[in-house]
Amino acid sequence: MKKTETIFQDGSHKWVAIIRDQEKPGYLVDTNEYLVINGKQGLLLDPGGAEIFPAVFSALSAEFDPSALTAIFASHQDPDICSSLALWLEFNPAMRCYISWLWESFIPHFGGDAETFVPIPDEGMDISLNGLPLRAVPAHYLHSSGNFHLYDKQAKILFSGDVGAALLPPGDESLFVEKFDTHIRYAEGFHRRWMGSNDAKRRWCERVSQLDIDMLCPQHGSIYRGADVQRFINWFDELQVGIIQY
Amino acid sequence: MTKKSASTAGADLLRIVRINEEIKLVVSVAFKINIMALNAIFLAKRAGTAALGFGVLSNELRVFSQDLRTCMQTLTDLIHASVGEVSVTLKNVRRTRLLRAAVRMAPESSATAALARREAENEVHELKFQSLRKQLKRALEDAFQMVELGGVLAKSAKIEAAYGQSFAGALAQVSGEFDGIVEEIRSSLESLRRSTFVTAR
Repeated sequence: MKKTETIFQDGSHKWVAIIRDQEKPGYLVDTNEYLVINGKQGLLLDPGGAEIFPAVFSALSAEFDPSALTAIFASHQDPDICSSLALWLEFNPAMRCYISWLWESFIPHFGGDAETFVPIPDEGMDISLNGLPLRAVPAHYLHSSGNFHLYDKQAKILFSGDVGAALLPPGDESLFVEKFDTHIRYAEGFHRRWMGSNDAKRRWCERVSQLDIDMLCPQHGSIYRGADVQRFINWFDELQVGIIQY
Repeated sequence: MTKKSASTAGADLLRIVRINEEIKLVVSVAFKINIMALNAIFLAKRAGTAALGFGVLSNELRVFSQDLRTCMQTLTDLIHASVGEVSVTLKNVRRTRLLRAAVRMAPESSATAALARREAENEVHELKFQSLRKQLKRALEDAFQMVELGGVLAKSAKIEAAYGQSFAGALAQVSGEFDGIVEEIRSSLESLRRSTFVTAR
């Protein structure tokens, strides 16, 4: 069973992290899902793979009526990101899925039809959740060719998909990064291998440095908050990625 | 309730694949009859008035070959539609399993209604699948009747060959081959008829 943690709340504007499933089989990578609520509408970020759908669904149901989800935001095309799409559409076939235009004809292999998808142009776009402005921020080639993160200016939260991800050892349940230097060791190998371009990485670092961020929320591992956000951006900026030696 | 499990649907898919292979075999044999019948028509022409009846029967066998191919095309179309339905079933089996797990974990949620909708849709697909199975059975019976006719034509050609005077030997050989091939088709159709996919209720 996954746990939910409210990481931000201001009236009916809320961010809920859906994390750590102890019953999940070890062969599936652990994922974080995030639910943004504004009033009676909800947006689910990187809803996860089909096999973990029951765990995500039941955890989310405790906080929010799943049939009131209006949209899904998929940072990119991977199965651990959105292979559960068809199952979410069972609850609300009118639900929309925001995804890079690059993947809009690939993702329907997981579910959905021509009506389901809202293509995000390369430069990003504004998404309104019941009047709450959210910004799809470009993160191309990190680690997918068409990749977006989602920034909530009011909550000062950046959902960063696979950027900032860490593959934590079993038993590590920390929601937030507690000791940056220890934690970042679990992120290093992942970033070196899964991030495709130093140039793209540099541009992303420059882009997000201009945003006011209290929390950087990745799809795997723990959430960076406060000074650790800039610490992470600086660390990432220095890291050489996209090269393997064999 | 979804009646099908993933393994049942998987087994159906395997049976469908085998049926399709058998159909392809019949289609290729039917094509062979067409070529043989054309050659037999030329042979009958060379034999002249003595092989008039043989010529007429050879032409009938050519028509039989074309009709059989049309009939096998119907079977192929039904098989393709069955593959489509089994694929949907396989996908739905997984979805239903995951929705059931969601209902177990969140019994008070809207998952119960979604599961009920999914199961109702599964029933519709199950009925569609059963209907395809029935159509396949009927098309097989049609093919059988056609092969009965082919058998009669081949046997009549054997009798006509006896009147072929100096060509009697050659005509007998050709009509014997016709008979053998029709028997080959009959045996293929018999094996299709016995397939668990066709006999299942």
